[in-house]
Amino acid sequence: MFALMNNMPHLLGDQLASKFTWFPEQASTFAAENDWLFFFITWICVLFFIPIAGCLFYFCWKYCKPKGQKAESNTAHNTPLELAWSILPSFFLVAMFVMGARSYLNQRTVPEGANNIGLKAFKWGWTMDYGKGVMNPELHILANEPTKLSMRSSDVIHSVFVPAFRAKKDVVPGRYNYMWFEADVASERVSDEELAKAKFENGDGVWDYDKWQFTQDGYRFFDLYCTEYCGKNHSVMQTVVVVHETVEDLDAWIEKVSKRPADQTPEAWGEKLYNQRGCAGCHSLDGTKRVGPSFKESYGNQRRFADGTNATADEDYIRNSILYPKKQVVEGYQPVMPSYQGQLSDDDIASIIAYLKTVSDYGPKAAPVTDDEETNIEE
Amino acid sequence: MSAGSLPSGSQVKDPGYPTPSENYLTNSKGILSWIFTLDHKRIGVMYLVGVTLAFGVAGLLALLIRLHLFQPDGMVFQGEEANNWYNQVFTLHGAIMVFLFIIPSVPAALGNFLVPVMLGAKDVAFPRLNLCSFYLWVFGALFFVSALCASGLDTGWTFYTPYSTTTDSSVILATSGAFILGFSSIFTGLNFIVTINTMRPPGMTWFRMPLFLWATYATSIIQVLATPVLGITLLLLIAERTMHIGIFDPEYNGDPVTFQHFFWFYSHPAVYIMILPAFGIISDLISVHSHKRIFGYRFIAYSSIAIALLGFLVWGHHMFTAGMSSLTTIIFSALTFTVSVPSAIKVFNWLATMYKGSISLTTPMCYALSFIFLFTIGGLTGLHLGTLATDMHLHDTYFVVAHFHYVMVGGTLVAFLGGVFHWWPKMFGKMYSEAGGRLSAFLVFAGFNLTFLPQFILGSRGMPRRYATYDPEFAGLHQMSTYGSMLLGFGLLVALFVLLRSVGAFSRFGLACGKKAPANPWGGATLEWQCTSPPPFYNFERAPAVGDPYDFSDLEWEADEERYVTVEPKREVIPEEQPKPAPAHAEDSN
Repeated sequence: MFALMNNMPHLLGDQLASKFTWFPEQASTFAAENDWLFFFITWICVLFFIPIAGCLFYFCWKYCKPKGQKAESNTAHNTPLELAWSILPSFFLVAMFVMGARSYLNQRTVPEGANNIGLKAFKWGWTMDYGKGVMNPELHILANEPTKLSMRSSDVIHSVFVPAFRAKKDVVPGRYNYMWFEADVASERVSDEELAKAKFENGDGVWDYDKWQFTQDGYRFFDLYCTEYCGKNHSVMQTVVVVHETVEDLDAWIEKVSKRPADQTPEAWGEKLYNQRGCAGCHSLDGTKRVGPSFKESYGNQRRFADGTNATADEDYIRNSILYPKKQVVEGYQPVMPSYQGQLSDDDIASIIAYLKTVSDYGPKAAPVTDDEETNIEE
Repeated sequence: MSAGSLPSGSQVKDPGYPTPSENYLTNSKGILSWIFTLDHKRIGVMYLVGVTLAFGVAGLLALLIRLHLFQPDGMVFQGEEANNWYNQVFTLHGAIMVFLFIIPSVPAALGNFLVPVMLGAKDVAFPRLNLCSFYLWVFGALFFVSALCASGLDTGWTFYTPYSTTTDSSVILATSGAFILGFSSIFTGLNFIVTINTMRPPGMTWFRMPLFLWATYATSIIQVLATPVLGITLLLLIAERTMHIGIFDPEYNGDPVTFQHFFWFYSHPAVYIMILPAFGIISDLISVHSHKRIFGYRFIAYSSIAIALLGFLVWGHHMFTAGMSSLTTIIFSALTFTVSVPSAIKVFNWLATMYKGSISLTTPMCYALSFIFLFTIGGLTGLHLGTLATDMHLHDTYFVVAHFHYVMVGGTLVAFLGGVFHWWPKMFGKMYSEAGGRLSAFLVFAGFNLTFLPQFILGSRGMPRRYATYDPEFAGLHQMSTYGSMLLGFGLLVALFVLLRSVGAFSRFGLACGKKAPANPWGGATLEWQCTSPPPFYNFERAPAVGDPYDFSDLEWEADEERYVTVEPKREVIPEEQPKPAPAHAEDSN
């Protein structure tokens, strides 16, 4: 506790330093107007608060009397005065309401031709869908062009909040909610040396955004928080927004994340795709029967199909199942899987196959079958 | 012949009825005489003890939360389950504070004691229902707290779906507890409505009622009309969890936002259940301690009713970002602004009451002044949240946390403390240390501001609510807030110490208890100051003279006895031909 007390002056100093700002950086077209309105309301509040607090203290000093003294006046009411202070503040209220509502309508009406990005919220993370099967947890947008987010949630209510943009919208399961904004400050890039140093120090673990204050690709960013309480990891359900100066820069980034990085093994890339691209929703890893067969018993297994034929689930079978999923449906399952044709590259598919080999009991590294597992597998 | 004209402290010997030397605290003894009491004053005292205990528990949890947030990664809860612990603690803090402390604090604890005495009545209209509602509260409280603790409820006090329909913790048990507590609240409200409607003494017209009664009446209306909606909502939630009826859960084609509409249809009026009685207390406190007639009585009374009615129409402002249609959102924003007008009227009227008064800076007055200061900040920052565009940024951030704590703590809690200090001499017959009381008021004021002012900035900078860990850039403000909460906690302990010391709780440690309280230590003109302190079992020896509750002209200070006495029997007297069921009859006073 003593250590804490010693921090106190230092902390106060931080707060009083000249760089103090009330709001975070203004980085969208909404920000300036919103902040103006905030300070407009605040100054009206101050205009009322100072006389109220002033009267409070002044009266206490001026009319503080020893016990037993009578009040100087006993005026019970003054209707004109009371009507005046009931009605006059209403004009300020109407002004606030009108400005707030107009600005709000502007924030709600998505301009035509806005760049559309899909957003999926889940416990506890975000997936941004850039189309053509490119998905990434980070939100990358273009500067000086409106961006529209089409948002859905796969479990509970979440809420997207980008303080720098002064924009917020709940993501409600069972419906799409939309929001839009136009960023007007592009994210800077850090130097290659700085990025290389950070990458080296960070190691292979999860990238520490708070520590480095730039992304793994070297961009500065704006925070994106979840602001609707969603359970255990609500407070770490954060991601970042990167604003690109040019379309070329954005496309280059999309191109980069849509492919397996040179330093990543196909197995690791396959695992990432398994988690990011929705495979995990229907295909379990632990043998549980979901909408589709579990990957625990997929690769290398003898499969029996709905049309009565048999085949071993080899590389070619898996490739066909991804591209033409309704051709050979395993017995006992419905033909509901969508085709991933055009959404996954050859390298992606090869990576997924490599990953499936590592999780299957029938894969190349399969352990000798023990008695317990045998009963588990046969059905 | 009015009560005031008798020599103070005179004993009215009336065989068969307790004399003032036997007050309601001493007229019967033993634990059973408390457990089965039908006396509204004892029930009020039991509520006071109950809500104070609840506040103590929830307050300690609040300190735990603030300590945890001292460091960005969390200081108190560690390990894999740290965030779960944090979530359970903030849920417990909010739920206990709302359902077990703020809602029952003023109406059930102070209201039970004061409503009949202020009416010059013997008891509330339905004393048995009153005891029943107290036991429902105790039962509901135990049920609620044990359910929350046993299962680790982590939904927040708002139970938002679909989180609450899918989480593992026992939502059903907790909502059942809240359901029971709702009945307690409804019974109390019903009791007060009937009492105020039917038991006002002759001469006390609606506009001669103390403003505390007006506020209690308005509160009771909300309790009776809104609480059933909470009951329905919680039942639907239970049905959704057990039978999947598909009303809230999108998994079964329900709409989770429907739950928010249901929930806030109760919980927004409930905000006014929490603050209206506080307005009533402050109106009385400001007037009595300024020794001046309340300014604009009718405006204050009408504004309570206006708030109660308008409060039913603004629930949607909790859901501006949820995705309601633009039109709905704008209508709710407009309605929200209308509620701010009656609240502002009250603040202006209180200031006008102090103007040219004769102000005594007693402990209750210090709390009342603190209330006006803090509530004004709380009310004004509500404008930022009612304005749609700015709410888009501030919604669900610490700005909201600071705003509602300014209203609920700076408002209701401070008013409750002011009320307790004001009526403490009446309730327990002892005066407390004024210096200690004022010190507590100052510490609470300073600690409160240090805790919650930084949170306005935190919220404006984008710090979201209900975060167990946060980005390092917010650390400095969070730490200031934590220091403030320690000071606030210390101030509250001082208040508790001062009050308990006055009734002799620490006499074994050589700390003398307070002086015996006179019937009227502050110079109040409402009826409760006409009976002895503490009141006798039947409250009044004879039917009290009903006068103007805010006419202080015939009250004189007797310095050597440290009390106020009525000097001239100017007051209107009850006509003799209307016999009252009071124990003492008019023959004595003739």
